[in-house]
Amino acid sequence: MITTIFGGLLLAAAAAYITGRGKARRLSDQEKLHSRPVYHGAWTGLAGLLPALLLVCTWMAVEGPVVMRLTAAGLPESIGRMGPAATGLFFNDVRNLLTGAVGPGQVRPEAVAAAAAWRHYLRLGRSLLAGFAALAMAAGWGFAICRIKPSFPARDRVERIIRVILFLAAGVAVLTTVGILFSVLFEALHFFAKVPFSDFLFGLKWSPQTAIRSDQVGSSGAFGMIPVFAGTMLIAGIAMLVAVPLGLLSAIYLAEYARPRVRTVIKPLLEILAGIPTVVYGFFAALTVAPMIRDLGASLGLDVASESALATGLVMGIMIIPFISSLADDVISAVPRSLREGSLGLGATRSETIRRVVIPAALPGIVSGILLAVSRAVGETMIVVMAAGLSANLTANPLKAVTTVTVQIVTLLVGDQEFDSPKTLAAFALGLVLFVITLALNVIALQVVKKYREQYD
Amino acid sequence: MFLSFISRQPVKNTTAKKPSPGTDPARPATAGEPLLEKSRLSCRHLDVFYGAKQALHDISIDFSGNQVTSLIGPSGCGKSTFLRCLNRMNETIDICRVSGEIKLDGEDINRPEVDVVLLRARVGMVFQKPNPFPKSIRENVAYGPRIHGLARHRDEIDMIVETSLTRAGLWDEVKDRLDEPGTGLSGGQQQRLCIARTIAVSPEVILMDEPCSALDPIATARIEDLIGELKENFTIIIVTHSMQQASRVSQRTAFFHLGHLVEVGSTEAVFTTPRHHLTEEYITGRFG
Ligand SMILES: Nc1ncnc2c1ncn2[C@@H]1O[C@H](COP(=O)(O)OP(=O)(O)OP(=O)(O)O)[C@@H](O)[C@H]1O
Ligand SMILES: [Mg+2]
Repeated sequence: MITTIFGGLLLAAAAAYITGRGKARRLSDQEKLHSRPVYHGAWTGLAGLLPALLLVCTWMAVEGPVVMRLTAAGLPESIGRMGPAATGLFFNDVRNLLTGAVGPGQVRPEAVAAAAAWRHYLRLGRSLLAGFAALAMAAGWGFAICRIKPSFPARDRVERIIRVILFLAAGVAVLTTVGILFSVLFEALHFFAKVPFSDFLFGLKWSPQTAIRSDQVGSSGAFGMIPVFAGTMLIAGIAMLVAVPLGLLSAIYLAEYARPRVRTVIKPLLEILAGIPTVVYGFFAALTVAPMIRDLGASLGLDVASESALATGLVMGIMIIPFISSLADDVISAVPRSLREGSLGLGATRSETIRRVVIPAALPGIVSGILLAVSRAVGETMIVVMAAGLSANLTANPLKAVTTVTVQIVTLLVGDQEFDSPKTLAAFALGLVLFVITLALNVIALQVVKKYREQYD
Repeated sequence: MFLSFISRQPVKNTTAKKPSPGTDPARPATAGEPLLEKSRLSCRHLDVFYGAKQALHDISIDFSGNQVTSLIGPSGCGKSTFLRCLNRMNETIDICRVSGEIKLDGEDINRPEVDVVLLRARVGMVFQKPNPFPKSIRENVAYGPRIHGLARHRDEIDMIVETSLTRAGLWDEVKDRLDEPGTGLSGGQQQRLCIARTIAVSPEVILMDEPCSALDPIATARIEDLIGELKENFTIIIVTHSMQQASRVSQRTAFFHLGHLVEVGSTEAVFTTPRHHLTEEYITGRFG
């Protein structure tokens, strides 16, 4: 039904386009037009389509609740008296009936009746919608046709509409970000109502197990984020120690030394690293690298945890190499050839040129690439969930097991949880801090990139 | 000047070399006086290929010291390619192959044992677009001396910086802002900075590839004056698209066409009594 409405609207818009263009063409025989006939056509089409689409979208957004209200209003008293939880279950039955997940024999008769009512209201609503949409379309179309005259600035109107559409597209992404921020922020505020902000921010102990029953002993919960963040920083730091040199050096090789043929082979291979699902890296870290490092440590007489930060960080570093190398490759290649020639022409060797001219010139871009990679490392989840530990040790020793923010968020939220205990809300507080950190890193990185762009324009 | 609309046959010059083996005898040999008795820099039978495409055909020419030689010719005729052979800059282009002999003070620069780092210190280059490094003015000039280890101490560097900038006619304008980025200067100042950077390593030959094409007339005039002063101490070879500039700054002129060296002679001779019809057509503006 909805598809039919959409199809009909598009067809009508096409027809409106043709009539608008036709009218403008006829006018153009007598007088010079402000805009070319296609713009008049486009404007007519849009003038019909947009109000109708707006109507359809609005209805789609409110359809579910409205239909449910109407259905609920028609239900026998007995259902209304059941209380909210039972009513919810009842409507679940209704929905299952509608989707065919259960047969009419499996639920009570009231639900069958409600499903029929639901279907009725749905159909009614959509028929009305189709009617109103057609009306809106026709009104817009007719209005536009009447407005067409030689002096009508259809071109400017169409440009303006296109701008609004593009703006809305960009707005969706921004609004989503803002939405995420606020949802995390509100939950985090709930958390901070139970646990003081300073305890969270500066606490040195993290053990989020709280008593579920009041007679349980010993676990009042401690929500100091420092050990968790220290773990994140330790693993991300190890990852960067691996990724920055390897990524940079391979970028320099690719951009400056590799012959075109070699480059066309190596570059995609490096980028495959970025395409490997992180879960694969995760078990590579947990099943291959971590035992290897533990055994190696054992043979050296070191005590290495089997979920050591070192193993996790190493593998995460490998994952990040392509981010750094391809970003750095881009900025190094963007350094103008004339600078290189200037240096070579003074008798500098290739590596002197790279060290003293190319890298300094590309430095801002490289730095911003590294910052982006850091925010990637800090937010990385799957590898650490699989390979890092759960216990929040506050240590700088890479051979110990540490936990990270993302691991804690996952473990706090996975499973059946009440969503108002400090334990689960803590996840949102962690998420908020993570969000702020990565946002800050990204903003700084973008700022640096901007400065870098200005340098060569 | 009297313009002949009938193509004249090239005048065979007396000092011209014999065509080397395997060269096309139908090709016009270089008119004028490409070869000199005494020269700093001499090229013989220079061929350059970009991949399979030949960009220069059998070029033979001498350059004498303390003189400005200008290279002129229509776009794409191989002037830059030729210039870049003289300090082996073409090596930085993967597909470029150079054959033939180029001697600087009697020593073949293309022999494998020649150190290209030292060669480029002796044969400096100034490019078409000013390309200061994104460093301070001081560091731009100090770059060459540093990489060649010409100066160790800060005051030695400062000395070189000051003398080079002075010789490039930029000192007075920048002496109070040596630590500001070189990229912040105006185009003409940037080009003089690049010249200062080049002369800071005390080269013997300076190659300039259209050094004024990105500059306004006033900045151009300054650079031209500078070239006139620099020729006292350096051998200068300059590519230019401006015939006026060639006649103002150079004593000798070489005309290239489609990868061939068509005519070489004193600037005056080339501009007033060209011997080859292509030269004449070019300098009278009938093509190019
Ligand atoms: N890097 C390169 N790769 C392939 N071909 C090249 C390259 N550089 C130059 N060429 C070719 O060699 C020929 C000579 O080019 P060159 O740059 O020497 O001309 P030019 O005389 O300096 O021209 P202009 O006055 O426009 O600077 C041209 O046909 C050009 O297409
Ligand atoms: Mg050129």
